Amino acid sequence: MRLVTLLAEVDTEKCTGCRTCQKVCPTLAIKVENRKAVVDSEKCRGCNNCEQRCPVYAIKMVKRVNPVRVYVDPSTVDRSEVEALCKKARFNPEQIICYCTETRAEEVAAAILKGADTPEKLSLETGIRTGCKVECIQPILRLLEAAGITPERPDGYQWYGRTPTVWDIPEEIKEKYSHRGFYFDQDIKVLNKVAEGKKSLEEAR
Amino acid sequence: MRKPITPMKPRVSQYGVDPKYVTKRMADYENITSLMLKDLFPDTPDVIFPSDKGVEAIREAAEKALENVDMSMIKPEHSVNICASHHGFTLLGGEPYAELLKTVRDVIARRTGTENIRLRAGVGLRFRETEEYIKSFGLDKYFNGKAKGVAPVDEGIAIETEIGTLYGIKAIYDADWIVHVHNSDVREVHFHRQVDRAVKPFGMSYARIETRSTYHQNLGPRGANFTARAIFNSDFVQKKFAFTVFLNMSPAGVVSVDADNNLYALNDRLTVDGCKYYGKIMTLLGEIDECIVGLDFPCPVPYVFAAGVIYANFTGANVDLFDLDGPLPPYTWYTEAFYGKDGKPLIDNVPPVNPAIKMVVHNYAWGGYPSAFFSNHCPTIVVGREQADLLNRDPQNLQYMEHAVIADNLDAAMEFAYRVAKTDKVIIFDGAVGGINVSTSLAKLLLEKAPIVSKRVDEELLPKWLKQRGINPDILK
Ligand code: SF4
Ligand code: SF4
Repeated sequence: MRLVTLLAEVDTEKCTGCRTCQKVCPTLAIKVENRKAVVDSEKCRGCNNCEQRCPVYAIKMVKRVNPVRVYVDPSTVDRSEVEALCKKARFNPEQIICYCTETRAEEVAAAILKGADTPEKLSLETGIRTGCKVECIQPILRLLEAAGITPERPDGYQWYGRTPTVWDIPEEIKEKYSHRGFYFDQDIKVLNKVAEGKKSLEEAR
Repeated sequence: MRKPITPMKPRVSQYGVDPKYVTKRMADYENITSLMLKDLFPDTPDVIFPSDKGVEAIREAAEKALENVDMSMIKPEHSVNICASHHGFTLLGGEPYAELLKTVRDVIARRTGTENIRLRAGVGLRFRETEEYIKSFGLDKYFNGKAKGVAPVDEGIAIETEIGTLYGIKAIYDADWIVHVHNSDVREVHFHRQVDRAVKPFGMSYARIETRSTYHQNLGPRGANFTARAIFNSDFVQKKFAFTVFLNMSPAGVVSVDADNNLYALNDRLTVDGCKYYGKIMTLLGEIDECIVGLDFPCPVPYVFAAGVIYANFTGANVDLFDLDGPLPPYTWYTEAFYGKDGKPLIDNVPPVNPAIKMVVHNYAWGGYPSAFFSNHCPTIVVGREQADLLNRDPQNLQYMEHAVIADNLDAAMEFAYRVAKTDKVIIFDGAVGGINVSTSLAKLLLEKAPIVSKRVDEELLPKWLKQRGINPDILK
């Protein structure tokens, strides 16, 4: 769930049409048209990315008169499908996957099951990746992959690709570095326990 | 009773309130005293900064450390990126780190003949933070306009590693050579667990969002920092890496400047020093039985400092964060993720947030880092409507104020805190240099416990921590 209270506003006097904002917007809400950036207020999720990266400080965040609440209610889709999708991506459905918006895996899974098939649509519909814009791209890509979806990359820097997980690390790499203080197998136990539900952590010591 | 140490001044920043709103500091109260680290732990190392010499001591130490570094690979026609991070500027007012960056630039220019030396300064989650530091420390002028703040959402570059493809920030690597200039302050022990501390920026402030998300979501609470090692080990980075220079930090200040062509050799030295210098004070803070916490420093909530330790580490001080046998710290993003909708952990045995924290008085701390976990788990009073408004406007803190109350001023906040928390012990995270500002009651407790903690760390904990990191404890002899 995300309450959107802000809106990006472009100072067209300052804007040089460089497209930086367009390349970093997680919901594709800002586009350069006729050499000036234009914000689609319906799609802007108030994340500040454009404002923080515009090289000439042409963007200001303004308060929305009517804040918008975005949320995909997981109870509106089949629970077993939500659980299966989360499990495949190795998440507990209740696990938080976006710390800024407290978005849980089940909400993103539900949005995917309802048809959102890109990180951008997921950001638009759930608000995920509109806080810090950094930490939650991998859970998004993992859940999409678990649903058998290979999203097309937008023509910007929004995201490049899914990266390895701890389950993907080859045995020889684990062995090579475990004496340096990297506890890969023990971490796998912790993460598996979370994905599986309420279990003791003791075994992961 | 020692007078309080002067707290770090508020800083003008888009991420915090205007300093004019910080009208009173927690250290201003009569019952607040200070303890110097040397008084708590007589083996606290001597420091070169702060000292009478000022930042000149940093320049001298850096020049000396660089004498043993090979720069012959850098030719006069080559470009060099000096890679930096925001974090260094939050230490001791920022001047020592700024001076180190300037010195490294000067030495490279003098020894190699190149003038194409750029500063590339990465950030945490406040994308313009280093831009602010670059301006306030005059680094843009010093680097002849070639100083740039870079962010994890900027254009990326794929890096093939031994675990698969990860992504770096293109501008970090757009030179013939890179020089890694950082500091050894342990800071986020809850995240990196003091494993490969010196390598971390390759997986963090020099990295794209995909990599940072790998660190915090795809690996695990004890393996996360491997992301950094994977990137640093890649052929791509190895071909560009020239050398590294670090401020070797202790909670009391800058101990020395260390430099090396081999990052892992420097990493091993600083792993030992970090455990040694920070282990005692972190363990001691874990002995506090009850307290009111004051946040009073120009940084986001988890990063405010007391005795060189950040508040995020204090929220986990009920657990030994250096001990790798512990699967989960009380605070880390993995831990935060594992709390379900009913507010309870999804698995058993998740250590609670430090139960000694009875109340938090947020007198001055910034937004720009997802901090709702802290106000959700510790009763919090925010001083001043302006600060509450700032947090409410921050996309990373939309829920922070849902769990906090607002006081008009610090006096009202303290009165409420004493009444509700029912303790007179106060610890202030205000960046006091060389020591810590605490209430007289807490000072008494810390002085009593310090010798016991010191012995335990020396004899039991430090050897264990080193062994867990593949370092022979005999190195201490
Ligand atoms: S980043 Fe700034 S200057 Fe560039 S197009 Fe967007 S608003 Fe205009
Ligand atoms: S969603 Fe973010 S990046 Fe996109 S227009 Fe709105 S504030 Fe700017």
